[in-house]
Amino acid sequence: MAMIEVERLTKKYRDRTAIDALSFTIREGAIVGFLGPNGAGKSTTMKILTGFMPATEGKARVAGFDVFEQPLEAKRQIGYLPETPPLYPELTVRGFLKFVAELKAVPRAQVAKEIERCAAATGVTSELDRLNGTLSKGYRQRVGISQALIGNPKLLILDEPTEGLDPRQRNEVLQLIKGLSGKHTVVLSTHILAEVKAICEQVLIIHRGKIVADDTMAAITGGRENGLEEKFIQLTAN
Amino acid sequence: MRTILAIAKKELTVFLTTPWAWIVFTFFSFVASTFFMSSLTDFRRAHADVAQLSGGWSQVEPEFQFLRNLTDGVVMPTFSAMLMVMMFLVPVLSARLFADERRQKTFELLMTSPVSTTQIVLGKYLGGLMLVSLTVALMLIYPGVLTVFGSSFSAVTSEKTTTLEWPTVLLGFLGLLVWGAAILAIGTFISSLTESVIVAIIVTFCVSLLLLIVRILAPSAGEPLRSILEYASFEAQLRNFMRGVFDLRPLVFFSSLIAAFLVATHRSVESRRWV
Repeated sequence: MAMIEVERLTKKYRDRTAIDALSFTIREGAIVGFLGPNGAGKSTTMKILTGFMPATEGKARVAGFDVFEQPLEAKRQIGYLPETPPLYPELTVRGFLKFVAELKAVPRAQVAKEIERCAAATGVTSELDRLNGTLSKGYRQRVGISQALIGNPKLLILDEPTEGLDPRQRNEVLQLIKGLSGKHTVVLSTHILAEVKAICEQVLIIHRGKIVADDTMAAITGGRENGLEEKFIQLTAN
Repeated sequence: MRTILAIAKKELTVFLTTPWAWIVFTFFSFVASTFFMSSLTDFRRAHADVAQLSGGWSQVEPEFQFLRNLTDGVVMPTFSAMLMVMMFLVPVLSARLFADERRQKTFELLMTSPVSTTQIVLGKYLGGLMLVSLTVALMLIYPGVLTVFGSSFSAVTSEKTTTLEWPTVLLGFLGLLVWGAAILAIGTFISSLTESVIVAIIVTFCVSLLLLIVRILAPSAGEPLRSILEYASFEAQLRNFMRGVFDLRPLVFFSSLIAAFLVATHRSVESRRWV
């Protein structure tokens, strides 16, 4: 079953076209790398899929729900980490996760357990009683992912989840995402190819608002060591 | 409902863990205490003067008769003075409701969570309203003080002035609350238009000033403008409350105003998606 179906999705900001008639499908349970140079339209696509902004034209469905026609149902299926982790600096990590659990209508009796689960999964258990505003960048990112996991959504959309992390943290976050495969469908955007190679099964490359590659990792690399880099540079050349 | 309360609770937590609320509380009590003290001084002087008159209070002009008892002579003037102060303090509370979410990029979380725009607007307004109520509740200290210590005035006057009329006091309190709720609704709308808390505060101030100007212009305008301005003037609307007379009209007037601005906020938040 397809988790995401996108048909001819277009977004125009005044006279600039951010994404141009994108069409792709992502099957349930896949870990998909969403690649492209800076400004290619990755974040715009993610913002449309999560219902933050509407498209100018085209259709997008998440788990069978149209994101424009049935926004609340679609949003219930999604855990989203925006480019900047949406942390309220005045709240503690626990207070923040509790707030998110309430927004996502996690049953009252399960809230505490859900917070523990998501904090443990992202390694922030020891920081639960700190204020968000005092966290380091790495922890902010982790709390952001933790927040996306709350309510156990079917689909996780992570916009540059490893941005600003040190190599060790990067590795941990990647292992964490890899561990989610099977339980969740994960779409992550990045411009770091090594990360994609490490964990993704499907690769979408977007360039100047258009899809230039949509294939399995094996098909894109063709089995070569540097296959993904070569393909990426070749496809985004102009 | 649970979502609305969760958002309201979040707003309250943020307000109370940042200096915002405390600055407002402090300033509000400071100004209120000053007004209260000066009303008390006037009251004491008036009673000392009247004690010199042979006919007592029967000789006093009708317009000064309100000084005869503590409720109308001290509490209600203090409350009325605070109406004006609230025009400048409530905008400080309303300004960050939406503007801060934009600035801190947390708005994306709210907008991509399975909650409706109506729930977001109501939750935020409710959170602000709780804080405005807390602020206005500080005003209950003064009648409280008078209830405990008011009897000391029996030394300067023969009048039975020392017991407060609590129903009157509570109506005045309700007047302040309704007025605060109305400015909060206007401020919430303005906050939804900008990313900057400072801009939101300043614009809400300016709108408050317009309301003030309406009040000042009303007496000098010709008919029919005069009646319209008079009707739109908050002080005219609240006059009965401040006299301790229950009146349904201002409640209808201010509820309509609040509803209109909350609907406008809803539209403004929704339209932000479309840019």
